[in-house]
Amino acid sequence: MRRSHLPRVAPLVLALLLSATIGAQAVTVRRSGDNVIVRAPAFTFIKGEPLARLKDGRSVRIDLTLAILPKEGAARVAEVQQSFVLSYDLWEERFAVAHAGPPPRSSAYLTATAAEAWCLDQLMVPITAMGSLGKDGPFWIRLEYRIQDGDAASRPSDGADTLQGMIDALSRRRKAGELTHAIEAGPFRIQ
Amino acid sequence: MKTFLLIVAMIAASVAPAFAQQTDPPEGTRISSAQVSGFELGKLSPGLQEQIGKLTGTPLNRQELRDLAARIEAEQPRHVAAIRVTADPDGTARVVFVVARMRDPEQQGNINTKYVVEEVRVRGVSQSAIDMQLRDDITALVGKPLDAEQAEKLETRLRAAFPDYEVSRRSVRGSEPGKINLIFELQRKERSRWLRFEPIEANGTYHSDQGWGSYVEMPIGGRNIRVTPLFAIDTTDDLLEEYSGLGLRFEARKLGTERLGLSLEGTWFNQNWREQTFFALALNPTVPGLYSERSTFTPMVSFAITPQLRISGGVSIAELEPLETLIPLPHGTMANVAIGSIGYNFKQRDSGGARHTVDAAFTLRAGTSSLESDYDYTRSLGQAEYLFGHKGHNVLVSGMGGVINGDAPMFERFALGDARTLRGWDKFQISPIGGNRMFHATVEYRFKWVQAFADTGSVWSDGTERKVRASAGFGLLAGPVYMNLGIPLNTDDLRAVFMMGLRFKGPGFKKY
Repeated sequence: MRRSHLPRVAPLVLALLLSATIGAQAVTVRRSGDNVIVRAPAFTFIKGEPLARLKDGRSVRIDLTLAILPKEGAARVAEVQQSFVLSYDLWEERFAVAHAGPPPRSSAYLTATAAEAWCLDQLMVPITAMGSLGKDGPFWIRLEYRIQDGDAASRPSDGADTLQGMIDALSRRRKAGELTHAIEAGPFRIQ
Repeated sequence: MKTFLLIVAMIAASVAPAFAQQTDPPEGTRISSAQVSGFELGKLSPGLQEQIGKLTGTPLNRQELRDLAARIEAEQPRHVAAIRVTADPDGTARVVFVVARMRDPEQQGNINTKYVVEEVRVRGVSQSAIDMQLRDDITALVGKPLDAEQAEKLETRLRAAFPDYEVSRRSVRGSEPGKINLIFELQRKERSRWLRFEPIEANGTYHSDQGWGSYVEMPIGGRNIRVTPLFAIDTTDDLLEEYSGLGLRFEARKLGTERLGLSLEGTWFNQNWREQTFFALALNPTVPGLYSERSTFTPMVSFAITPQLRISGGVSIAELEPLETLIPLPHGTMANVAIGSIGYNFKQRDSGGARHTVDAAFTLRAGTSSLESDYDYTRSLGQAEYLFGHKGHNVLVSGMGGVINGDAPMFERFALGDARTLRGWDKFQISPIGGNRMFHATVEYRFKWVQAFADTGSVWSDGTERKVRASAGFGLLAGPVYMNLGIPLNTDDLRAVFMMGLRFKGPGFKKY
């Protein structure tokens, strides 16, 4: 009797698809002159409430931090923090990013992915600040973003223990003032 | 139905649509309160806090207020402060410093500042309601490149001018490339509405003596109309019956005017009864018997005298399917009542940042043969609750009392000893068929996740001995999740009752 190979092949296909997906979203670290910079396609922040705010023609400030760790969850050896102002061109339907500096830089006519990548490219950790990490041993990185919205932070809330409060909290897009996210990845070595 | 609609139309016609116009209080008016909104008062310097606090009781001096607003801005350079002075009905003036964060200088990097503002719209309030100076400043944005910082300041000023509204701002494309329209949207805050929707209740409860039960209301709708499906599964937390079933409530809170509202509710519940209730009923044949199904239709009309005070009236038509037992329903199957209710709700945040909430309601239900009711009775219930909250500390004091005259069906009889009242006692032990007299009081203290409480109360029937019971306990409360241990106090039977579950409760009491 002829048996289907599908049950045996399916886990393999699934594993390949999964690894391809993870590979596409993986964090990569590369050297740029005397600095280390990071690419993290899965580390997205132009979404949800900030995106809605941008599409309303308003700007959003984002603070990005790149930290170097000797191992996962350990204390930071070096870090760099930069602030950016994002906006969405209502007529061009493209994003713009401004970095207050120093030195001040900006870029416009970007897709959301390109705008996020541009911000990450500005986060450069000097190799000298990392000591022996990367050469003598592996290191880990921690990427954080914090989106600030002074308006949202100043508005009083009516409490979350009411059903209405819970429904509001679940149905409303999260307030930008509360948005923070972090990822850790590694181990890496400097090539 | 025609008669009902006629009543609604008459009430609607009698309501004056015009609202009292507020006038600016003159200089020298006594200040009844001075508050800071949108910013934590404690973050200002003690001297400035004191100066603001000292305004209460003094004559209104706008220059002094401007100086204080300037001091707030000097202390908090990333914020702007606007002054709002409102006249109270008693001839005094309320002062609010509306403080809002300014656009961060770095946020000036908005690419849309290259576009020219074609039009500015303010939605949600009539143009005539906006102060002329503010209107002029808004109009001044037209024809110039978008000034995001100025737009932010105007948004803050609109917030100060309309403290009962949520203000938001957005830009959209204009009629031709290179032009944009700026829109300020104002939406009434819930607390400033004349009528509130029926308080939403949803809970899933475990009581170590009474078991599991849940009651869920799921409101759907907008600001003026709401439809609420409701579901009950083995619920015993409010009545003597354990009921399961479903219902639907329709509410409209703007019938021509925001002062007039309507609700229609239909419910269909099946009942289970505890053994203790059967035994107690056998010993008390005068108490109306049990039923296996209860279907109710309740149309109500509400009218707000003030945003805090409302009256409601309507009828409840209930049909009871007798339970097939040795003790049949002696009174028949219809339990129709006329309902009248008055409710009061008050919420305030004082200058020290403390929240004060008062809720009170009195409800009268009367079953008479003129409504084709087989039950002739009146049921009066008064409830009051005060909640004080400050920096994570909350104190709740509540009380209620009720009287039934005549023979009311079982779902109307009072019961205490569940997850909300006399916590630590079991109602099926202390009064398995309830009573026609009741009072109850609670004091509860909460600090963040921890709570402690003390309950006292009694439920009895007219002409029988009244025994006052007390209990105390403690627990954890994390948002809607709670876990309590209640211990009965004045008893030799030392035991504890464990209660846990999820509870969402809207503000206010049910009106009927």
